[in-house]
Amino acid sequence: MDRTLLDPATGAPLLRYTVGGATAPSAPTVLLVHGFGSDFAANWVRTGWTTALEGTGRRFVGVDLPGHGRSPKPHVPSHYSPGSLGDLLARVLAESGDGPADVVAYSMGSRLAWQLAVDHPASVRRIVLGGFGPEDAFAGTDPDRLGGEDAGPFAAVFAAAAALPGADPTALAACAKGQAREPYRPVPAPADVPVLLVAGELDPIAAGAEGLAADLAGAELLRVPRRDHRTAVSAQSFKRAAVAFLDRPDRGAGTAADYTG
Amino acid sequence: MSETAGPGGAERTFALPDLGEGLVEATVLEWLVRAGEHIERNQPLVELETSKSAVEIPSPHSGTVARLHAAEGEVLAVGAALVTFEVEASAGIVGTVPTEERPTRRVRLRPPSE
Repeated sequence: MDRTLLDPATGAPLLRYTVGGATAPSAPTVLLVHGFGSDFAANWVRTGWTTALEGTGRRFVGVDLPGHGRSPKPHVPSHYSPGSLGDLLARVLAESGDGPADVVAYSMGSRLAWQLAVDHPASVRRIVLGGFGPEDAFAGTDPDRLGGEDAGPFAAVFAAAAALPGADPTALAACAKGQAREPYRPVPAPADVPVLLVAGELDPIAAGAEGLAADLAGAELLRVPRRDHRTAVSAQSFKRAAVAFLDRPDRGAGTAADYTG
Repeated sequence: MSETAGPGGAERTFALPDLGEGLVEATVLEWLVRAGEHIERNQPLVELETSKSAVEIPSPHSGTVARLHAAEGEVLAVGAALVTFEVEASAGIVGTVPTEERPTRRVRLRPPSE
């Protein structure tokens, strides 16, 4: 079922999201947050995630972030700060679920899930952060020169995203600027929210994930063999690890070794 | 979708579907079944990488996997043979094959809601 989150003051649409999967009232909810330049369908449907989650009796809530997919695409960078987008995700959970939800996120979506867990800890039970590391993905990027040469390592990601059908390059540039203004910081970390990190072993955007997992109390890490930032998304081992992590009883103990394979 | 009579039933070869966005080829990332294994319709079949994303293709048939036509890491053009299934034939009816839904240009990436 497709829904729209509205601005409570103006009634204007803020983002569109899909609720699907298991329909039993007791079914746990998983919020799915896609990466930069992607959308719910490309990141989570075409990669087999929604089918896999539905098969485990879960309900999913899949957002198209502002600037992406079916959602409105404002051109103002401040609309895309991690704090603003984290607040929108909390509101989606408030109107679509009851009680804390699990979150599975990828790349920029992981940055937002982190922010959501820091700012709205009561909304979140467990988080799975895919394709994410402590290094600033926008480092070395000149946000005012995204379309040009020598715009930094993020420029290639931006160029690929801007070339996709339906993309709004101005909105994506505003998104990149809004994100770059609030780089990831390790402190504060989500309190009392267990974290699973998953990344392809060939994923440079997730560089340093080992250190993050070591520094974060209770965090676990899976590196997916032979996969990079783009190809780790669909990996069966990623899905299995996420489901096993979300199946874990609260306060349970375990190790990343449970997830190899 | 081509069909030939096999020893235990009809063979059906599934070609690499049009993945949209003007893509003309894809790389096999990982097979999720092996030759000789049974697979149900809509069960995950293969992961592919295009120049834009990774996708998981569900099986279009229930049946036994007879042959995989590409190795992992191999690049395939849209329309090239991907996998051949052996699908059980209807017993006692000689010279006919079970009717299939008309092949569509794009693979169905989500099972139909029922």
